Amino acid sequence: MTLALVELSTPKGAPWEFLVVFAVLLLGPVLFRRFGVSGIIGLLVGGYVIGPHGLSLIGAGNDTLPDLGQLGLLYLMFVAGVEIDLNLLRKYRRSAVSFGVLTFVLPFALGMLVGFALGWEALAAILLGSLLASHTLISYPAIKDAGLASDPAVATAVGSTVLTDTLALVVLAVVAGSAGGHRTTPDIAAQIVVGMGALALYSLLVLPILAGWAFRWFGTERSVRYVVAITAFLSAATVAELFGIEGIVGAFFAGLGMNRLVPNEGELMDRIEFFGGAVFIPVFLVSVGLILNPSVMVRGETLGLAGLFIVACLGGKALAATISARLFHFSRSQAGLLFSLSAAQAAATLAATVIGFQLGLFSSAVVNAVLVLILVSVLASTLVGTRASEHVALPKGPRPLGTRIVVGIGDPELALGALTLARRVARADGGVVHPLLVVPESAPFSPKPALARLAEIVATADVDGQLMTIVDRSVLHGALRVGRAHEATLVLVAEPIAERDGAEPATATAAAGAREEDDSAVPPVAVVRGNATRLGAVRMRLDDDELEPHSIAGEMARRVSSGGAQRLDDDHGDWAQLLAPGDVTFVSSELGETLAKLPNAADGLLVSTVADWLIREESAGDVPELPGDARAV
Amino acid sequence: MIAVRRIRPLGLLALAVLLAAGVLGCANAGNGAAGSFSSRTPNTLTVATAQVPDPGFWQGTIAHPSGGFEWELAKRLASHFGLAKVKVVEVPFQALVHGHLGGADLALSDITITEPREQYLDFSTPYLKAPPAIVVRPGTEVADVDAARHLRWAVQNETTLKEALEKQIEPTTKTLVFEHQSEKLEALRDGRVDAVLLDLPVALAYARESPSKYAVAAQLPSEAELGAALPSGSDNTEAVDSALRALQSEGEIDRLAHRWLHADYEEGGAEGVPVLRTEE
Repeated sequence: MTLALVELSTPKGAPWEFLVVFAVLLLGPVLFRRFGVSGIIGLLVGGYVIGPHGLSLIGAGNDTLPDLGQLGLLYLMFVAGVEIDLNLLRKYRRSAVSFGVLTFVLPFALGMLVGFALGWEALAAILLGSLLASHTLISYPAIKDAGLASDPAVATAVGSTVLTDTLALVVLAVVAGSAGGHRTTPDIAAQIVVGMGALALYSLLVLPILAGWAFRWFGTERSVRYVVAITAFLSAATVAELFGIEGIVGAFFAGLGMNRLVPNEGELMDRIEFFGGAVFIPVFLVSVGLILNPSVMVRGETLGLAGLFIVACLGGKALAATISARLFHFSRSQAGLLFSLSAAQAAATLAATVIGFQLGLFSSAVVNAVLVLILVSVLASTLVGTRASEHVALPKGPRPLGTRIVVGIGDPELALGALTLARRVARADGGVVHPLLVVPESAPFSPKPALARLAEIVATADVDGQLMTIVDRSVLHGALRVGRAHEATLVLVAEPIAERDGAEPATATAAAGAREEDDSAVPPVAVVRGNATRLGAVRMRLDDDELEPHSIAGEMARRVSSGGAQRLDDDHGDWAQLLAPGDVTFVSSELGETLAKLPNAADGLLVSTVADWLIREESAGDVPELPGDARAV
Repeated sequence: MIAVRRIRPLGLLALAVLLAAGVLGCANAGNGAAGSFSSRTPNTLTVATAQVPDPGFWQGTIAHPSGGFEWELAKRLASHFGLAKVKVVEVPFQALVHGHLGGADLALSDITITEPREQYLDFSTPYLKAPPAIVVRPGTEVADVDAARHLRWAVQNETTLKEALEKQIEPTTKTLVFEHQSEKLEALRDGRVDAVLLDLPVALAYARESPSKYAVAAQLPSEAELGAALPSGSDNTEAVDSALRALQSEGEIDRLAHRWLHADYEEGGAEGVPVLRTEE
């Protein structure tokens, strides 16, 4: 093309293709959300527009976008595994497992019924059943924002996701392993069993150890932690493919294995979600859109298939929700929440469909029918979820102790023990630990060296929260302010805490009693002395009320001790001699001892809760209204 | 008294799904999840091709093909569709790309998928990367596109290679145009021209078969791919697409390429053949 003196070339090559794709990532979701339609649909339609069936800006022979989409698919399944709340599954395991089985089996059976009735071959019918049986928690963010995350029905549906997605992917592995091969059934079964066993061993046992080790050794740089996570799921996908299992199964298992290492509120999860949400997963959706073909979609055959898929999937899901609601005495609106959370088809469904297409089991008519199902199911899930949320009462009761922990630190060199303890307590609840450097008001204002040192110690302790700084009169006061601002469920203070003029050290005060039901305004506080990266035996030298299971000390002890905590009575005078490296001893200040009087805890950790009255007194002072100052130095 | 059992919701739902699926199944009888293939001749897949033998792609004769990538691919497709026999018919390339398949179900004949050809044909999903390759007599070197421009060229009419030559190389001398591939190769052999363009896998097959006559000097940057051609509007395209994807996912196409073309085309071209940087 010649324009006066300037010669212009037709746009082509990698920069042009990436520009086209990123334009879709930018405009697709924005335009569709304007009309109240999910951004996912915008990306799929955008993929169609630029693809071979649309404007053909990305031609049929292009490899870049499909390859990137493949990475996005693995990423999507990793995120699905890593963000699952395993604590909810554990807490509501009976209802979650029952609902998980029902919400998998019913649509699975109905899907297979459709396939066989249409005369499909067995593998295609089974794959159809499994892709209708999985679900994606599309409506969960909205339900969570409505304050219903801990509602039993919501927790049941969220917990069941592990089961449905795992079962769906196992079925996919079996189908993919059997497709096109000329091997005997026992050979295929042996291959799948050995492969799944090896994958589970690698993803759930070996990978967390390797990743934890990598986090500790290379983890001071945040970008490196992110690359470790990517490498982890790619390695699991590779292990899966070594055994002839689809890579997405490995990526999902890697997510489950890394679940505890990547807390949902942590910095790493933030990064994973950011890059996943901004680039990788949308690119996958755009690459799926390339297959979308309106001329196929509006054909009677495609619409007929879509209708059947919708009836089988949403009918099965609705029936599972209804039966489960009766079994577990959920209200009608809670049944609506169960349906809303389990009806939406996106991640695992798309993954299985794309693989069915690549294996030659599904035609483009089936793929386009599934895309119609996805659209309808997302809309139904959103509508039902919104309506049901309005009629469900907000759940009461405190959040688990380890949900969000703020660790106040005056001297980074003394922080390791508190951070290690906090990590263990948080990990038990799938929570996050935010380290907080408290700079004394009287000290020179130069926290950078201390922050840099603290960042190293935070990495050694394998803590993934947001590193914060505040200038305050004392570590306890600063930690309390930030704890309240961030709605912390527990505040730990790494010794020493600053003394107030004329006051006794805070730890010399009476220990807190049993935890009240509604003490959310002021989080419970404990002081920790000692350094350790691994925890050993757990002992309790507490007065009677602190030995109650629901006391702060009792709850912490339960989370950090695997085999139960040992009680030390008053006449156990030589208890300090028992301290071995990593041992944790919960001590009661009411016994007349202060941490200052206790033996040097270089060999172990001493933990003392702080009295309610002192916490109230500390926090009732000049607590600022704006929490934002916690982040700014 | 007859006891009437209460119908459960699941039973009702299953019944409804079954009925609906049954109706749809009858409406699309025989149309499986991967699409259905209906051959013109019972129990036989009829395949059209322009030239037998064609090194690497077809061996033997039209009546008795004995090997080659596309012949073996035709046999795999027939087996996938449950057809017992494969019949081969010879149709000139120009006729093929204008949609005349000589009564065949599909054509396998090194046909590059292009938009103009889609006016006359339906193409399957691609099965092989095929960038244009410069074939010369052994000893002729083509260092860059400028050197290529000053060679004497021959090209086959109605092919994507003719377009590639005109747009990417832009020869300085008049190009000889032939109707058949064999004619342009003959012109190269007897010295009337210095170079011809062939699809890379075809070029490599010729060079391997007759190393004293042909050498592959370079390849041109291209996303060209070969696909099966079906009559326009064919109901079989979905089924052929699904079958090719199945063969690809099983690794069968790679095995055939390795067996008959002796090269790995996964990454878009044979390694060791330099790519000429062109402006197009």
